[in-house]
Amino acid sequence: MSQIPPEANMQQIDLTTLTLPQLTQLKQQLDQELTIFQESLQSLKLAQNKFQNSGECLEKVTPEAEGKSILVPLTGSMYVPGKLASTKHVIIDIGTGYYAEQDIAEAKNYFKRKIAFVTEQMEKIQVIGLEKSKIRDTVAEVMEMKMQAQVAQS
Amino acid sequence: MDEVQKKIENEVISLKGTQKEYQKAISTRQQLDAQLNENKVVKEELNLLSDDRKVYKAIGPALIKMEIIEAKQNVAKRIDYINNEVKRFDDMILNLEKKQDSHREALQKLQQEKMKATIKT
Repeated sequence: MSQIPPEANMQQIDLTTLTLPQLTQLKQQLDQELTIFQESLQSLKLAQNKFQNSGECLEKVTPEAEGKSILVPLTGSMYVPGKLASTKHVIIDIGTGYYAEQDIAEAKNYFKRKIAFVTEQMEKIQVIGLEKSKIRDTVAEVMEMKMQAQVAQS
Repeated sequence: MDEVQKKIENEVISLKGTQKEYQKAISTRQQLDAQLNENKVVKEELNLLSDDRKVYKAIGPALIKMEIIEAKQNVAKRIDYINNEVKRFDDMILNLEKKQDSHREALQKLQQEKMKATIKT
């Protein structure tokens, strides 16, 4: 869950004044950044899904469900039967190894907030990613121009 | 001529070493950032809870019950520590950037020297 710091020391540079090696370096950098954005988007999507699933699970934890039998997963492929002892509280992983007991309404609220937060971050990344890919395209264009100019000269 | 070539090789080796260090510092810095964000999120969550709420800390596979005030203090301490680490790594990254630049410059000069020498012969 990394937030994006505002771009510091942004500077306007006329791309045409750069040399070909500089442009290549710049393009490589931009390509790398774009891959990172894609990866972040994917992991954010995963996180979003997880929160959504947990939130949906809470819908089933109603007072009527108390005492009903459930299967508790011990591992991914092994379960033991159990009974739902309490439907009032759930314990939520709030990060860095801390768990907090919350009642159902609070828990639902928690997941709603998390989903909103993740979605917001995804939107931010999408906007920045679009901008970066525009810059990348421009850099590629200027590179093309320079290369043609070089061919014409020789 | 041979001497210049040797110098170039040495410069390339040290430049590569610095680049490696730089990459490592950057990735640690990124990890710190992620940790800092996670801790900030936890701090916010803890602040939203009332003081009588039960909080647990996972120590290995066990959940240990904890006072919420203690948890808050721990998280605050953790954030302080990470902030210090972030500063330390920012300085380190800056230094490594400078070092890389100086290596690059030296390399460029040596390559020019070599060029001149080849033209003369």
